[in-house]
Amino acid sequence: MSTTAPTTGSTPVRRLNTSKAMAEAIAQEMRADPEVIYLGEDVGRYGGIFGSTTGLLDEFGPTRIIDTPISETAFIGLGIGAAVEGMRPIVELMFADFLGVCLDQIYNHMAKIHFESGGNVTVPMVLTTAVGGGYSDGAQHSQCLWGTFGHLPGMKVVVPSTPADAKGLMTAAIRDDGPVVYMFHKGVMGLAWMAKNQRSIGVVPEGEHVVPIGTAAVAHQGADVTVVTLGLSVHHALDVAEKLAGEGIGVEVIDLRSVVPLDRETIIASVARTGRLVVVDEDYLSYGLSGEVIASVVEADPGLLTVAPRRVAMPDIPIPYSHVLEYAALPRPEKIEAAIREVLR
Amino acid sequence: MTDVTFPEMSTEDHHATGVVATWYAADGEQVAEGQLIAEVQMDKVDAEVIAPSAGTITLLVAEGEEVVQGTVIARITQDRSGV
Repeated sequence: MSTTAPTTGSTPVRRLNTSKAMAEAIAQEMRADPEVIYLGEDVGRYGGIFGSTTGLLDEFGPTRIIDTPISETAFIGLGIGAAVEGMRPIVELMFADFLGVCLDQIYNHMAKIHFESGGNVTVPMVLTTAVGGGYSDGAQHSQCLWGTFGHLPGMKVVVPSTPADAKGLMTAAIRDDGPVVYMFHKGVMGLAWMAKNQRSIGVVPEGEHVVPIGTAAVAHQGADVTVVTLGLSVHHALDVAEKLAGEGIGVEVIDLRSVVPLDRETIIASVARTGRLVVVDEDYLSYGLSGEVIASVVEADPGLLTVAPRRVAMPDIPIPYSHVLEYAALPRPEKIEAAIREVLR
Repeated sequence: MTDVTFPEMSTEDHHATGVVATWYAADGEQVAEGQLIAEVQMDKVDAEVIAPSAGTITLLVAEGEEVVQGTVIARITQDRSGV
């Protein structure tokens, strides 16, 4: 069974998977604002290869749900131009791995026009992109790369892990007056043909739902150790937290939800309570988010940590295609549990 | 009581089988008319199953179970008390 415990009352609860929640937010914002459009590869008739735009072409037609040729530079540039002229385009880069062919548009134009115009020109654009591995798609289709996007100034970066947050962060991203990179992990979309997990299905508010960008969520409370993570790793961390609760170990799971801005206050407040920190990051280990989180804690107060922090991250290697090797590299629940036990020794 | 059947996704083979890929409602839960309750799959094609009426749902098929199209996969009982 993929669903949570039955409700006892007489009020029906409405659940969606993450991809449907994302599409619902886009549809609601498109109904409210004619300047919102969605463009990218296979976003129209196909409905998005990960279901992010399923059903939107039928309602909004091909002038607002636009299938583009395979030129990321061209159609991201088109989106930037539309945004500068006052529209609110959502542009899909099918896989974050493809940023290499269009990086100039993203980090020299989308991210910098507001700054370079002295604040006179805004770029109210959302760049959506699929991230993450775990399904044998190889080294060029499995990366997270939120550390790369987060490193380049001028863009907000959000990474939902639940259906409700996928809707709320999409609404916030569309309404934001600056560029927002919306990175959805393929493993949390709840797609029937992917490896599913129960946390990809959840109750989603039916009406307007906004999750403010830059606010982390305490996904599970605990007093003994803080686990800071995001994306699919939140689901793994929650599985581990629930298992260890049975042993009397209190694991606090912080779901970052936003990489930029990073909610350092929530991280620091949790570590101040627990004294122990494990950072779980499916992006590469070195020069990335996991180091940034630890630096944020140590810069605030070097005395907060009672033991050395631990990182569970993707090793600095191209992600293997082989299922066995890929799972050996990914931050799987066993590694998260081992790291937690290590800081508790 | 209303039967919820696996959608007739194949017009060529009336005995075609598919799987209930995802339940969006839990056994014994209240559902509203028109609410998404399941996604089913046949030959890599997905279809949504919508609640035909409001009431308490009983799931008769497990997620991932293969069934012939037209099979009753859930029942919805209308309860007058609303509890």
